[in-house]
Amino acid sequence: MRRYLKLHSIFIKQDLKKLMEYKVDFLLGAVGFLMEQAVQIFCLGIIFSTIPALCYTVNGTVVDSWSFHEVLFIYGFSLIPKGIDHLFFDNLWGMGYWIVDKGDFDKYLTRPINSWFYVLCEKFCVDALGEFIVGIALLIYSTLSMPAEVVADINWWRVIPVALVLPFCIMIFTSIKTATAAISFWTKRSGHITHMCYMTNDFAKYPVKIYNTVVKTAITYILPFALTAYYPAIFLLRGESVWSLPVTVLISVVLFGLSQFIWHKGLRAYESAGS
Amino acid sequence: MKNNEIMIQVRDLKKEFKKAVKEPGLKGSFKALFKPKYDVVKAVDGISFDVPKGEIIGFIGPNGAGKSTVIKMLTGILTPTSGTCTIGGKIPTQNRKSYVKEIGVVFGQRTQLWWDLALRETYMVLKEIYEIPEEDYKKRMEFLNEVLELDSFITSPVRTLSLGQRMRADIAAALLHNPKVLFLDEPTIGLDVVVKDNIRKAIQKINAESGTTVILTTHDLEDIELLCKRIVMIDKGKKVFDGELSELRHRYGQMRELAFELKDAEDISLLEYDKNFNLSADDLSVEVNSAAVKVRFNSDIASVEDMLSYTLSKVHVKDINVKDADIEEIIRRLYIGGGDIYETSVTDI
Repeated sequence: MRRYLKLHSIFIKQDLKKLMEYKVDFLLGAVGFLMEQAVQIFCLGIIFSTIPALCYTVNGTVVDSWSFHEVLFIYGFSLIPKGIDHLFFDNLWGMGYWIVDKGDFDKYLTRPINSWFYVLCEKFCVDALGEFIVGIALLIYSTLSMPAEVVADINWWRVIPVALVLPFCIMIFTSIKTATAAISFWTKRSGHITHMCYMTNDFAKYPVKIYNTVVKTAITYILPFALTAYYPAIFLLRGESVWSLPVTVLISVVLFGLSQFIWHKGLRAYESAGS
Repeated sequence: MKNNEIMIQVRDLKKEFKKAVKEPGLKGSFKALFKPKYDVVKAVDGISFDVPKGEIIGFIGPNGAGKSTVIKMLTGILTPTSGTCTIGGKIPTQNRKSYVKEIGVVFGQRTQLWWDLALRETYMVLKEIYEIPEEDYKKRMEFLNEVLELDSFITSPVRTLSLGQRMRADIAAALLHNPKVLFLDEPTIGLDVVVKDNIRKAIQKINAESGTTVILTTHDLEDIELLCKRIVMIDKGKKVFDGELSELRHRYGQMRELAFELKDAEDISLLEYDKNFNLSADDLSVEVNSAAVKVRFNSDIASVEDMLSYTLSKVHVKDINVKDADIEEIIRRLYIGGGDIYETSVTDI
């Protein structure tokens, strides 16, 4: 484990050196990302400029509602585990798009380290820092804009459990990417499957109560992105959904085990490419 | 040779690929999507051989013979359908990580170096990956530097290296952890004559000084001639020859090449070697390039003397010479010759 941490830090250092070589590329990447986020937040702003709050109603009575700043808070929170996963483990995307298809995966198998780990840590995606920073900025901005009594409720008894669960939230992202990337061992390409799964992440940036049972179940238990965004965020804000924290740990561990299983099955099916 | 320690042991190695059979056209593609049909392709069909420690072995065969598949199984990349391969007693499918520590791999068409980094950085990363102690690393670097002359470009980014430099750098990268076995897949592909020569010399030196066992696949038969005593040839997934190069030459070495230039290119019609000497297509090939003619023939059936006098009696030539069969010619005959000549040449270990 120690050796792997050391290796990971070496790879990060190497990637930072690479970054120095391709400054323009990095800058363009960062600007592009910031614009993408700005557009999404702008859209949220437009929606909320015409409605006072997002409401969940049953038979016409309002059961629950979320203000613009609460939605912004959930949105900002969702970017944090996603950004960390993106920062450290981005290379898995390459698996589904070209690494397996072109036979480049050979390289990872001729080295005496775990192939999954090697793929995972080979690329350090600095662009993702933008995601992380935007997330933090949104959290701070939305918190400052909320009524004082709401903010007063956010105490250490809420912050510490969420901080402890955060690594498991990251693991959900990494596991889903791993599992879908590993499909490429059989199908040669699976990038679009990964992308498809990732798109459901957009649902999880909003209060899940507004969705019907199918979507709600799917993003809570199957592709459990809601566990990485809405649930921990709403727990921080209102102390709601305490149950989701242990469930996050449990589901992420199961998902991780499953993704590793698929990966190792896939290794045996890997066919390389003609040279 | 037999007293030596066995480094690599391959036993009845097989690899089958499932290939989807598609009917042509869009309709066929749709059909295949819902009702896929599979063909089983036997890429490698029961190959066995041993390699003693310290040997350089040439692994050859025509394109699509299954060479790469065998190498990929031996390097732990592909999982065999059945059969085993062991290196120093280690089995790749049981413990890939400890197995690959024993081997170094160079794929000529694909670099293993970190593209965007200075070459030196690649070696630093490899040092960590293979857990090479500082002192060994320094010694090893010194040795590789001397043999492969890396000094002049070790600080350049890999993407700026020439192909020859890159190949040398790749070989050094594969040898940094002092592996017991080095796999070289087309190490001289695309290189000029001088660089080729340097690389061959380096391989020889590494083999002699570190006792590294080398498995070399190549289409450049000069590589084979200069480096390998023994060759293993495979075709259609089966081993078709395994033995010393000299044996191959001895057995199929009756081929000679008669090359001459006609004074009058029209005269070619006067030469009827096949009828005159009763040579079959296997034993004779005639290559005509306007006035230049190359005749390859089996000297057991038609002696060099007869061929020469027949040629000179029929046509006027500007220039004429006779060459020994080179290994290329022999192997070409083996590649296109099909099963017949193979059968007698299979030597079991």
